[in-house]
Amino acid sequence: MTAVGPREWTVVIAQTSLLIFLYIFLYFPIFFIIYVSFVDNTVWPFPPEFTLEWYERLWMMSDFHLGLFNSVLIGAGTGALACIFAASAAIGLLKYQSRWRGLFAVLYLSPLFVAGILIGISSLMFHRNILDLPGHLSSAVLANTTQALSFAFLVILAQLTRYDWRMDEAAMVFGARPTRCFWEVTLPTIWPSILGAFLVSFILAFNNLDITFYNIGAIPTLPTIAWGTLRHGIEPELYSLAAIINGFVFFILIILFFLIRLGLVRLGYRGE
Amino acid sequence: MKTFRHWHQNKNFHFALLTLPGALFLLIFLILPLISILVFSFWRTESYELIADWNIENYKTILGEKTYLTFIWRSLVMAVSVSLVCLIYAYPVAYLVAKRGGRYRLILVLLTAAPFFTGIILRVTAIQQILGPIGLLNMALQTFGLEPIQILMYSNVASAIGLVYLWIPFMMLAIYLSLLNFNFKLLEVAYVNGAKPWRAFLEVTWPLNWIGTAIGIVLVFIPTFAAFVTPRFLGGVNGALYGNILEHQFGATGTWALGSAMGVVLFVICLIFILIIWRTINLQRSGYTGEEF
Repeated sequence: MTAVGPREWTVVIAQTSLLIFLYIFLYFPIFFIIYVSFVDNTVWPFPPEFTLEWYERLWMMSDFHLGLFNSVLIGAGTGALACIFAASAAIGLLKYQSRWRGLFAVLYLSPLFVAGILIGISSLMFHRNILDLPGHLSSAVLANTTQALSFAFLVILAQLTRYDWRMDEAAMVFGARPTRCFWEVTLPTIWPSILGAFLVSFILAFNNLDITFYNIGAIPTLPTIAWGTLRHGIEPELYSLAAIINGFVFFILIILFFLIRLGLVRLGYRGE
Repeated sequence: MKTFRHWHQNKNFHFALLTLPGALFLLIFLILPLISILVFSFWRTESYELIADWNIENYKTILGEKTYLTFIWRSLVMAVSVSLVCLIYAYPVAYLVAKRGGRYRLILVLLTAAPFFTGIILRVTAIQQILGPIGLLNMALQTFGLEPIQILMYSNVASAIGLVYLWIPFMMLAIYLSLLNFNFKLLEVAYVNGAKPWRAFLEVTWPLNWIGTAIGIVLVFIPTFAAFVTPRFLGGVNGALYGNILEHQFGATGTWALGSAMGVVLFVICLIFILIIWRTINLQRSGYTGEEF
C-alpha cells in the first residue's frame, strides 16, 4: 500500500464508494435471481412464500437436463479447441520472432471486434449455404470457438509475456526437441493460464446466445431454452439453475479469497 | 550444439507450425463467413431461399428508408452514451483497484466479472423484474406513497441501464489491465514538479493508458451497438434497436439477403468507429516501447 496523504483520503473514499456501489449494482440482480428461486410467488415475490418447488421441478425436467448437457458440451468443446489454437499461437508468436507476428496478433484478436450476432448470422449463412453444414452442436462449437479463441489468446499471452524463454533455450542446448521442451518446460510453467483460458472460453460458450442460437438448429441449450420461453415469461426453474451455478462460483471465489489471505496463492501479485 | 542450430534454422517453420492452425481456423470460420454475407447481401431472397440475382436493392432499403436509419441512429446514440457512462464510472474504480487493491486486486476485479457466469437473458430479466411496472423499485416506491419512476419502465433509459450493467465489466478489465502496467511513480514525479493532481492525470495517466482505455471503449461499443436481448426485455414499445430488426430478418421473415446486408452495415459502422478510435492512438505518446511484446 502506498502512503495516503490527508487530501487524498477524500478521493480514496469517493472511489471506494463507487466500487461498493458498482458491486451492489452488479450483484443485486443476481441475488434477486437467487431469492426468487426460493419463493413460490415469483411475479411479485413479497412477502415471500418460501418453497423448494423450483428445485424439485428442475430436478425432474428432462429438457432442462438436455439443455444443460448440450451447453456443457458446447462449453467444453469450444474451451478445448480455443485453448489448443490459442496456446500454440501465443507460444509461436512470442518464442519465434517472426516479422509476420504483428499481422497474426491482429488476426487472433480480430474476433473481439466483431459483434457476437454478426458471428452468429455469418456462420449460419456460411455453414448452411456453403459448407452444407446444418445447425448442429459441432457447427455451434466451431462458431463459438472464433470468439473464445481471442479471449483464450489474451489470457495466455498475458502470462507468456512474463515467461523466461531462456529456460527453453537451456533445454534445447541440452538436446531437447521442441515438443519435449514444451511438455517438460513450457507447459508445467504456463498451465495456470491455459486453465484460465479454458474457463473463460467455457463460460462464454456455455452462456452464449447470439452465436449459438443461429448455429444450433433445433437442439436445446440453456440460453436458447431461456430465449424460447420468453413469450410466457421466464421459467422459475431457470432461476434455480442460475442460483446453483452462482452458489458454486461464490464458493470458488471465497476459497480463492482464503487462499490469498493465507498467502498460499499469489496470482501474479509480487508485492509493492 | 547441432540440435540448437537445427532449431534455430527452422525458426520460420516452427512459427508457421504453431500459428497457422489457429489462423487458418479463423480464416475459414470467421473471415470467410463474413465475406459470404457480403456476397449474399447483393443477392435476393424469395420464399426463404437465397437467389444469386445481383442487385443493390438491400442497401437501398437500409440506407434509403427512414425506419432503418432511425434504428441505426438510435443504436448509435445508445452505444456512444453507454460507452461514455461505462468509461466515466469504470475509470476511477479500476484506478482504485489497480493502485490500492494490493494482493486482493485480482479478486476485486474478478468480482466485477463474476456476473458473467449467469446468462445474459437471466440477468436482463432480473433487471426487468426490478425496474418494470410491477418491479421491485416501483412497488417499493408505491408502498411509501411515492410516484413510480416512469422513465425506468420499458424505455431507452432502462435499456441503457441494462447495457451498462452487462458490459461495464469489460471496461473495468481493460482499464485495470492497462493501469496494472502503469508506473504510478511517474505521477509523483509530476507532483514534485508542481503539477496539480488533475493536470497530472490529464497529462500522464490518461495518455499513457489511452490504448487500454480505447480497447475498453470499443469492447463496450460493439456489443451495445449490436444489442438485441436487452432492448427486447427493457426497451418497451419504442425501444427496439438495430440488433432487433437484424435478428428479425433471420427469424420469422427469413429475408436472408436483407439480413446479410444489415450485418454488413453493422460491421462497417463498427469498423468506422474502431478506425476513429485507432487514429487517436499515438504509440509514441502511449509509452509503447515495442519491447514488451
